[in-house]
Amino acid sequence: MADANNDSKKKIRNFTFKALKATVKGVLFYGIYFALWMYLAPISQMIPGLQQMVETFVIVYIFLIIVGELTSKTVFQYFFNMVKALFVIGYLIFSLKNGIFGLTFQNIRLTVDFRLFLVIVMLLSLLGLAKSVFQAINYMNEKAEYTRI
Amino acid sequence: MRIPIRMIDIATTFFWTFLIAFSVSAVYSVKDIHFDFGQPQIEVTPDNKIIFSQLMSITNKGFYNIGSFNISTEVADKEGFTITRGFTFTLVINKNDTVTVTHNMTIDINDLLQQNKNYLFNDTELKIYEKVGLSIAEVIPVQGSANFSMPWGAPLYNFTLGNAEYTPYNLTHLKVVVPISFENHAFFDLVGKIQIQMYNSINIVVGKGQTNVEAHHNSPYNGHLEFYISIGGITAIGHFEVYFLTTLFNYGPLVIPYG
Repeated sequence: MADANNDSKKKIRNFTFKALKATVKGVLFYGIYFALWMYLAPISQMIPGLQQMVETFVIVYIFLIIVGELTSKTVFQYFFNMVKALFVIGYLIFSLKNGIFGLTFQNIRLTVDFRLFLVIVMLLSLLGLAKSVFQAINYMNEKAEYTRI
Repeated sequence: MRIPIRMIDIATTFFWTFLIAFSVSAVYSVKDIHFDFGQPQIEVTPDNKIIFSQLMSITNKGFYNIGSFNISTEVADKEGFTITRGFTFTLVINKNDTVTVTHNMTIDINDLLQQNKNYLFNDTELKIYEKVGLSIAEVIPVQGSANFSMPWGAPLYNFTLGNAEYTPYNLTHLKVVVPISFENHAFFDLVGKIQIQMYNSINIVVGKGQTNVEAHHNSPYNGHLEFYISIGGITAIGHFEVYFLTTLFNYGPLVIPYG
């Protein structure tokens, strides 16, 4: 009875710690976004929809950070990390229209070529994806070893 | 496996930090690029070509150099025929530096008239396609393009020869006075000569003359041309051949029937 009570207390303490860590990470990420946005704000006035695009990205990314933290020390943490890496690739391809970003004001057309940036981001995200796969394999491997012992 | 994972973690963190910091600062730098445009200049070269010059000064106060700054202009007529092209390129504009470039476009009016004589006599509209490109921090290419129209004023708009007046000069010749009128709608002054050759009904030259012309831009011209013809060669009908010899272009013959 006392063991069960202790186990339940331990679980609550663990979950609270995870939730706190997730909150701190989320707030920190939002703080970085907020600080960087101050530099991008003058440009965002010229590009309609940029703020909304970036905000949607930040919201989904923070959600994945929080979910990833809450599921830490389980295999799902790595699964959400993989989702995070794939989300970055997918969202950037979708929002940057294959790397060529175009805008039209009256008869003026502005085109920005983000292809090099997109390739670097994709490579880094693929590296993050590979890291998550390795971590998941490592986790399962260690779990199997502990079970055997 | 922990060490490779840790290494990947460190590498990705480093590159992500570098990439985000670089991207944000590069985009932020855009607001510190200033363009100043001078008054467009028009000049005529000794070989009778018109040069449009646009002085442009680019001040880069951003964090990074600007690479491959280029301006290209294409002037075309209503049908899409290219009249002239201009291209200006600057390899690098260093940070905290100001570069002044002159964007030139040359129009050879003689070539233009070979394509279409309507530019001389009819006002029309020219299409201009302007493209400005640069690479932010020498790695992010940005390009702006615009289409607009510019009116073309004909230098000999509504060119007409009035009714010729014939007065006896001597026993064998008549003095002919031909009124000339047109409006110079062009952006340049028209200075030169108009030559007229008078042909009778069997295509024989019966007389010719020339007059000096000076018509300022956006102003009408009314003058006349005098010459002498042989009484024997004159017929009731025939035609005039008009030649324009100006500082900017030569054109002719323009055939105008009489009688």
